[in-house]
Amino acid sequence: MKVIKKIYVIFLALFFTSYAFAINAPCSAGTAYTLPKGYFEIGLFQPLRYGQTETLEWSTHPILDLLIPNITIKKAWRDFAGWDFATRHNITYPTPLLRTISRKGTGGIISPEFDIPQMFSLRNEVLLTRKFSPSFLITGKAGLTLAVTSDELDERTTIDLPLVFPRLGVFYNGYAVNFGLDVGGDLTSRFAYLTDVDIFLLPGADENFAFEHKSLIIWNKSKKFQMMLGYKLVFGEYPFGKQWHLLPLFDMQWARQFRN
Amino acid sequence: MKINLLKKLFFLILICLICWSCEPLVNKFDDVEDAELYKSKDIIDSQSVSDTLLIMTWNIRFGAGRIHWFGDCCGDRVIMTEQEVTTHLEKLADYVCRVKPDILLLQEVDIESKRSAYIDQLQWLLDHTYFNYGVYASMWQSQFIPSDGLGRMDMGGAILSRWKISDTERIALPLRGDQDALTQYFYLRRCIIKARIELPNCDDFYVLDIHASAFSTDDTKKNQFDCLKGEMDKINDIPGALFVAGGDLNELPPGSDSTNYCDEDRCPEDEPGSCRDGSDFTNERNWLDDLYAYKSAVPLDNYHANNSRYFTHGVVNTAVVTPINPWNRKLDYLFTNGDWVAGSDSTHQDTFDLSDHAPVSAKIVVTQ
Repeated sequence: MKVIKKIYVIFLALFFTSYAFAINAPCSAGTAYTLPKGYFEIGLFQPLRYGQTETLEWSTHPILDLLIPNITIKKAWRDFAGWDFATRHNITYPTPLLRTISRKGTGGIISPEFDIPQMFSLRNEVLLTRKFSPSFLITGKAGLTLAVTSDELDERTTIDLPLVFPRLGVFYNGYAVNFGLDVGGDLTSRFAYLTDVDIFLLPGADENFAFEHKSLIIWNKSKKFQMMLGYKLVFGEYPFGKQWHLLPLFDMQWARQFRN
Repeated sequence: MKINLLKKLFFLILICLICWSCEPLVNKFDDVEDAELYKSKDIIDSQSVSDTLLIMTWNIRFGAGRIHWFGDCCGDRVIMTEQEVTTHLEKLADYVCRVKPDILLLQEVDIESKRSAYIDQLQWLLDHTYFNYGVYASMWQSQFIPSDGLGRMDMGGAILSRWKISDTERIALPLRGDQDALTQYFYLRRCIIKARIELPNCDDFYVLDIHASAFSTDDTKKNQFDCLKGEMDKINDIPGALFVAGGDLNELPPGSDSTNYCDEDRCPEDEPGSCRDGSDFTNERNWLDDLYAYKSAVPLDNYHANNSRYFTHGVVNTAVVTPINPWNRKLDYLFTNGDWVAGSDSTHQDTFDLSDHAPVSAKIVVTQ
């Protein structure tokens, strides 16, 4: 029973981590828009987002913060040739999480024979969004992630799973580049859609390419609650070779005006 | 109208993709399915055949040599470097090339496992020995094992041959009955590989390669031996058909002098006096009786006369000082419905650094 519980917890952790990485809300997260001032939203797997001003948004994954402290700031700048323009900056400290899952027995995702050094990553992205109509919103993004580690990270510590491998690759490579394109909009008054592609590059690494595509249908029950269902298609290069994965996506999101 | 149609179509596609997207983490295998054929990068032609063939079986411990692996010798190692694996494989290939078996039955061959640097060991061995063809069947295939840092795993058995291999089957063996459902889901799924070797002078020559359960505490192994016996009987019933069946049975021969290895296998962190699963064979003394209906490469009388000469297994337990003869039990076997060349058997105990199992070889008489 204890073993089952441990495996369940670890899978839940992986599940959460993957989804947290995977899903973006249609309204602001994948776009150059920021949340209105005083507005916050949170999902089962999505981060907690908060609009501090009309042009500044903070976000973090509160549950994951216990093991993988992370914070993201998005700042909307002046329009650029008719496109809304924003930059997004994220800092992540994955050491506690990786040390937790580097263990003997059930739940050991990384072999305990390795030392996990102190590690930080800093991701910087630019986002450009244009709304052609309520049903057609397009966002392009590009980013550069830099990572530092207090000691060399043994390459045998990689977690060779979709979504996780390309995102942790930066700690072995020192830097990573990403590009993406999101398309979304309203289908009806209650339903919206989001579809996107993301490309992750680790220049100079042996496994240096990952492609992700997702499509979501979003049901807006009210302004305060929405549900999402969809899939994620992933192609990646891993230490064992190349592989495609098709994963289900599901999330629920709550939003509220915190203060004016 | 158009929007409704588009919406329905979008939902339909989405539902289809969501359904397809639930990929299982573990391959559970069919009862019987094709085994995977391999070929050396350089095929050596004109493989003549004599009236006898040298057959060898060897559990190669996934190319781990004698590293202190966490799973079987109280060690703490899990993931090997590529250099470690290729060094071990080179030693294995050197030994095989010296003994020169015509057909080689292997157990614990990794083809895509994180612990062995994702090296396809069967392809590597084919490319670095004189064998032309191989067949592989997995018995542990998981995209990710969330335990001890094992990660991705594809390990199984293999048969290597100078001659073409056909009619290959992976025959599933009963799963361990002493595990909870979740542990069993991620655990090994043992199998028999059945293959026909296209010998120029024998139309129906079959090989059965098995690796039976190691740590079961119930009657799983007995059920697996019954399956093996069933397959042997089926081939024996084909007029003129000849077979070699062998591998790592994880079982002692009937009448062994010692049947309890609790002291030898106990690790420092274990309770004093405790016994690890799979270390006490006392209640399994007669489980191999039925297999001895066929001819063993090592006749039982010879074994009874001197057990230790035929031992094929011994762990480097970090808790126990290595004894003079580090091999302490016989677990590996070769059987046939034909005839072994008398006195041709060999238990290669000079391989201690290469694996935790010693290979067993013998010459079989092959006549049309």
